[in-house]
Amino acid sequence: MSQLAETTQDNLPILGKSAKELRALGNARHLSLSDVEWAAIQAYFKTLKREPSLAELETIAQTWSEHCKHKTFTSPIRYTEGKKTRKIKNLFQETIVAATAAVKKPWCLSLFKDNAGVVAFGKKWALAFKVETHNHPSALEPYGGAATGVGGVVRDILGVGLGAKPVLNTDTFCFGRPDWKGSLPEGSHHPMRTMRGVIGGVRDYGNRMGIPTAGGGIWFDDDYRLNPLVFCGTVGIMPQWAVKKAVKPGDLIVAVGGRTGRDGLHGATFSSANLGADAPSSAVQIGHAIQEKRVLDALLAARDKKLYGSVTDCGAGGFSSAIGELGADCGARVRLENAPLKVSDLDSWEIWLSESQERMVLAVPPKSLKALEAEFAAEGCELAVLGEFTKTGRLEVLHHERTIVELDMKFLHKGLPRVERTATWSAPASSKPSGGVDKKIAEAIREMVGHLNVCSREWVIRQYDHEVQGGMIVKPLQGVRHDGPGDACVVWPHAATGDMDDFACFAVGHGLNPDYGRIDPYWMAMAGVDEALRNLTCVGADPARAALLDNFCWASPEDPKQLGGLIRAAEGCRDAAKGFSAPFISGKDSMFNQSKDEKGKDLPIPGTLLISAVAPVPDGRKAVTMDFKGPGNALYLIGRTNDELGGSLYYRVLGRSGGDVPKVSPAAALNGFKSLHAAINRGLVLSAHDLSEGGLALCAAEMGFSGEFGCLLDLDECPHDPRIYSNKTLLFSESPSRILVEVKPENESAFLRHFGKSAKSAIVRRVGQTTANPILKVTGLEGSTILEEPLKELKEAWQATLPRIIG
Amino acid sequence: MNIKLQTANVHLIEVKLRNEFNDGEGTTALALLREQGLSSLKEVRTGRLYEISGSLSATQANQAGRDILCDAVTQEFRLVPSSPSRMNGMNFWRVEVWLKPTVSDPVGATVVEAIVEGGLPRPTAARCAMLYLLNGRAVKAHIEKAVAKSLANPLIHDIIVTEAHP
Repeated sequence: MSQLAETTQDNLPILGKSAKELRALGNARHLSLSDVEWAAIQAYFKTLKREPSLAELETIAQTWSEHCKHKTFTSPIRYTEGKKTRKIKNLFQETIVAATAAVKKPWCLSLFKDNAGVVAFGKKWALAFKVETHNHPSALEPYGGAATGVGGVVRDILGVGLGAKPVLNTDTFCFGRPDWKGSLPEGSHHPMRTMRGVIGGVRDYGNRMGIPTAGGGIWFDDDYRLNPLVFCGTVGIMPQWAVKKAVKPGDLIVAVGGRTGRDGLHGATFSSANLGADAPSSAVQIGHAIQEKRVLDALLAARDKKLYGSVTDCGAGGFSSAIGELGADCGARVRLENAPLKVSDLDSWEIWLSESQERMVLAVPPKSLKALEAEFAAEGCELAVLGEFTKTGRLEVLHHERTIVELDMKFLHKGLPRVERTATWSAPASSKPSGGVDKKIAEAIREMVGHLNVCSREWVIRQYDHEVQGGMIVKPLQGVRHDGPGDACVVWPHAATGDMDDFACFAVGHGLNPDYGRIDPYWMAMAGVDEALRNLTCVGADPARAALLDNFCWASPEDPKQLGGLIRAAEGCRDAAKGFSAPFISGKDSMFNQSKDEKGKDLPIPGTLLISAVAPVPDGRKAVTMDFKGPGNALYLIGRTNDELGGSLYYRVLGRSGGDVPKVSPAAALNGFKSLHAAINRGLVLSAHDLSEGGLALCAAEMGFSGEFGCLLDLDECPHDPRIYSNKTLLFSESPSRILVEVKPENESAFLRHFGKSAKSAIVRRVGQTTANPILKVTGLEGSTILEEPLKELKEAWQATLPRIIG
Repeated sequence: MNIKLQTANVHLIEVKLRNEFNDGEGTTALALLREQGLSSLKEVRTGRLYEISGSLSATQANQAGRDILCDAVTQEFRLVPSSPSRMNGMNFWRVEVWLKPTVSDPVGATVVEAIVEGGLPRPTAARCAMLYLLNGRAVKAHIEKAVAKSLANPLIHDIIVTEAHP
C-alpha cells in the first residue's frame, strides 16, 4: 500500500463527492478543473483506493491547466462553418504541425517539443526563438508581470536543448488607449498605468540582464483596457551540438538559481480562467534580473563543460512542472527538504508548486556534481540536489520522509480527458463599407500619421538598451536622425560566436493586426505571416529561410463563436506556412483573455495573433534600412494594390466599417520577396519599407521624413486592380505583400532583372522618384496633383502623439 | 557551555536626495498624484527606506547607511526612529510604499549581500520601500486612494501615510 494512504492529514477527500462539491473545492483552491477532469481524477484515485493529497491535486491541476496542456488546441472540436459541420481531432496537429511537416525544412533542428524552436544558423550554430505571453500577471501587476514575462522567456532560451545564450529580446504589446476617459471596474488599472508599468518591467529586466531589446510593436484598442497583452520574446544562439538533451535514470535532480518562496502560486491554473476581481495575489511574481544573469553565466559555462544532460526552467507550476516534464519518460524521486527557501513557513505543496522566479532544474550525472557546484559557486549562485531521476515511471515527492505526491507519470501527462468543444464561424453578412465621414486626402493622412497605432514609439524604444552586446546593426530607429520606424532589427551575434570575420546575421520581424481579425481571423493570420516576412525581406533577410512563431491570444474558448474565430486563424496559419513554405517552429496560446467591464458585461479582447519570424541575413554588411538615401532615385512598388480597405487604418480614421479585408496570395508574394532579397544581396537597393497600416501614403511619408528627402508618386503607375478608380483606395489600401523600394537610376536595369517575368507582368513597377525637397507629392489617376504635404509637418504629427498623451 | 542569545534589532534607514538636487522621480510622482485629484500638492520629494533586521548595532546600521545605501555626494541618510512623531497641520505628508511581506524583495536581498560584502554582520533580512514626501494641502484618505491608483499596487504593496515634518 502507498505510504500516502496512511498519511491522512494532508489528504483532500474527493471520492464520493458530487460534481457540485468538487467544483466548489476547485474554486476555493483556484484549481480551474472542469467536471470531466474532476471525474477522471476521482476515477484514478478510486483505482488507487485512497484519497489524493493536496499536493497531488495541485500537481494534477497545474499539469492539466490550459497554460501547460493547451487543451483548446489539442482537444476535439465540432466545427460548423456556414452550413458545413466537421470534426477537428486536434487543431494544433492539423494546422501548425501539419503545415510545418508539409514544408519539410532540414534546417529546423527542434520543433514544438522543447522550450523553444531551434533552427540552424550556419554550419556550427543554431538559433533558438521563443515568444511567451504574460497577460494575466501583467493585468494584475503591470511592472512585475511584464518583468517576469521577460525573465520567463529568457529562461526558456536557457532551457532549450542544453541552453542557448540570449542575444535579443523582443516586445509586443496590446493596450487600451492610454488616454481612456471612461470608468473602469474596481481593482483594475488604468491603461496608462498598465502601459507605463509593462514597459518599465520589460526595460528593467532586459537591460539589467545585458540583453538588447529591439523588435516588436504596440497596438492600441479599447477592448484591451482590462486585458492587456504582453508578448515577450527572446532569441538565443547555441552550438548545434547542444540542441539535444537527455535525462537518464540515476541522474541527479539539481535545482539552481533563486530560492523558493510563496510567490507565483497558482500561476498556471490562474491563466486557465477568466480574469476577475478574485484573482489570487499570490499569482504575482517579482523578478530578480541579476539573479537570472548569474544563472545564465554559470549555466552556459557548465554547458560548455558538458556537466549536465538536460535542463529546463521552472515556469508555471514550479518544480512540479519542471521535474514532472524532465522525468516524464522515466520517473523521479524528489526530497523537498533540500530546496533552498526564502521563508521557513512554507507548506510542502507550496514548495512543490511555487513559481518563484530565476530557477532552473538540471539532470546531472553524479560524477559531474562537484564540478557543477564549482561553476555555480563561482557566480554566487545557489545549487541544491533535490533527488534523482528513476526508472519507475512514477513521480514521488517526499518532504521530511513524508510522501506528499505519488503519481503515475502516465496518468499525469496522458490522463487528461479530452472534451469535445463546439465552434461556429459565419462570414460577415455584408462586405460593403458603411458609415463614417469622408475626409480630404491631406486631412486623412495627417490624422493617420499621428494615429496611436502608427505614431512614433521612440518614447518606448529609447527606454530599452538595444546596443548592449554590440551587435545591433539595423536598429529599431533608423534614418538620418535615428528616429524613423524600422521594419525589423538585424543582429550580428559576434559577442556570442566570438567570430569577428563571419558577418552572418539574423533578423527578427513581426506581424499583427487584430482589426483584420474582426472581419475574418483567417485573413488576419495570412496577413500576419505576410507582414512578418516582408518586414524581414525589407532589411535583407532571406525569406526562403524564415521560421515562424505563432502566439494566439483569445477570449474564452468555451464560447463557440470565439473558438470558431480561433480555428479560422489557425487554418490561416496553416495555409500561410504552406504557401510561403515557412515552417512554424514554436508558439503559444493564451486563452480566457476577457473580464467583466465597468457595467458587469463580459469584455473579450479581439482575437489576436502575433506572428514572429526569424531569418538569416547572409551578410549583415548588405542590410538595408527604410529611409530614403538621396534625391533623384527611382521608386519601385513591389506587389499589386487591390480595393482592400476593410479593417484598414483609413476606415478607422473615417469611422467606417465593412469592406474587403486584405487577402494574401502567398505564391506571388514569395516571388516578390525572393526577388527583392536577391537584389538587396547584390547591393542594388538603397532602401525598402513595407506597406502596412495606412498603405502607400504612410509608407512613402515614413521613408521620406526618416531620410529627409521628398518623393513624387504617380498613382497611375502603381500595379493595381484595374477596377480601382479611386486615388484614396490606391493611397490607403492595405493590400498585403507590397514593398516600396529605392533604387539608384544606374541600377534600375539590374534591379528589374531580379524580378524576371514578374516585372513585365506588373508585380513590380516604377511609381516615382525621390526628391531633394522634403515634400510628399502625389499625382492622381487623372494626372493632377492630389497631395502636396511637407514631410516635416507629417513627422511632427507622427512624433507628437505619445509624448502629448503621456505628458 | 555559555550561549549568549543576541537580540534581533530592526533599523529603519531613510535615504533621500539632498534638497539642492532636482528630484525627477518626485516630479513624476507629483504629476501622477495631481492626475488623481491632489491638485493642491506643491512638491513631492522621493527617497528609499531600508528595514534591516538582524544583529547590526546602531553604529553598524549607520555605517551601512553611509557606506552602502547612500551616495554621499547627492544623498543624505538617517536612522528613522521606530515611532515617527506626529505633526499638527495638513501640509506635509510622508508616504511609504512597502512590498507586502509575502512578496519577494530582490532589492532587499541585494542589500543583505552588500552589507555582508561591506564587512558587517549578515542581516537576517532586509526589506526596502519607496518614500514620498508630499508638500501641500490634502487629506489622508484622499492621499491613500491616490497613491493606490498611481504609485502603488495594493495587490502587492502596503501603503503607510502619516503626517510629517517639513
